[in-house]
Amino acid sequence: MANIAAKRIKREFKEVMKSEEVAGGAIKLELLDNSWTELQGEIAGPPDTPYEGGTFLLEIKVPETYPFNPPKIRFMTKIWHPNVSSVTGAICLDILKDQWAAALTLRTVLLSIQALLSAAEPNDPQDAVVAKQYKENPTLFALTARHWTHAYAGGPAAIRDFDAKVQRLLDMGVDEHQARVALSTYDWELERATEQLFNREE
Amino acid sequence: MAGYFEEMGWRELQEGEQPNHLLHMARFLIDFGMYEDNFSGEWPRLPPPASKEAVQNLPEVTIDSESKNCPICLKSFHSGDKAKEMPCHHQFHPTCILTWLERTNSCPFCRHELPTDHEGYEAFKKEKKRAEQRKEDLDTLHNSMFS
Repeated sequence: MANIAAKRIKREFKEVMKSEEVAGGAIKLELLDNSWTELQGEIAGPPDTPYEGGTFLLEIKVPETYPFNPPKIRFMTKIWHPNVSSVTGAICLDILKDQWAAALTLRTVLLSIQALLSAAEPNDPQDAVVAKQYKENPTLFALTARHWTHAYAGGPAAIRDFDAKVQRLLDMGVDEHQARVALSTYDWELERATEQLFNREE
Repeated sequence: MAGYFEEMGWRELQEGEQPNHLLHMARFLIDFGMYEDNFSGEWPRLPPPASKEAVQNLPEVTIDSESKNCPICLKSFHSGDKAKEMPCHHQFHPTCILTWLERTNSCPFCRHELPTDHEGYEAFKKEKKRAEQRKEDLDTLHNSMFS
């Protein structure tokens, strides 16, 4: 890895460790190898959002050309959000693409991703299904996002009705995550979700 | 009257030259707000590099304090270090900022834009400015009529 990238990540790492966000538990950063190219980030779900109480892990890959090019970041923890792919965890955020600026740091990027959880941009979606639900049925979207936070990110609030529906599909032999995706996609209508799951397998 | 043509980014027709009717139609539609939605106001990619001239003309300054660091490599400046200063007064190591400006034209710290050598991008910026001016004019007109 180019020298400037590794040196900068080292400096950033120190900065993050001293920051008040780390002290307050809002964000975390961990090294995954000694070459400073792969890190793991962690953000707390912001208060007053469906992600509250959840902990979300992020994969961070630092390119050799950092900081002239942005780090590659995706969610490792599954999340229901208009700007994050519910399949791959890819994030649609301008500063990770053409609005990247060399003075941004891993700390400011993690805080921006956290802010994205509080304020989604449904008109610039990464996941079209989620964005549609966000716009057309905000109440159901919030419940679904809360349910995913509970299922994958250690969030506190279980949605009993949703859990029961997931269980119904589990009893039919469907994989748990697939069941959750199908139900979330079809606004928790058990019949339509079942139909879609079993038609696809044929 | 030359000022008018300059300001609009147009030029007078040459002897025997026919106006470009398609271009006129497009301008007409834009000026009357028919194409507002088509002008999203966003450049769809990373803006182009800063112009060679602008980069060459960046002043070099001598750092006189120990407290600042270069926002690109995050290394502290030392008293007596040479740095390049952007028009927004943000200071960087020469190699750091030159590498960045070869990629895109704005200050990595505050996004203040330098001119580019890219014709399309400069035309876009001019059009964006005109769109903002039109909106302001409309607001002024609206306020003077209804308040």
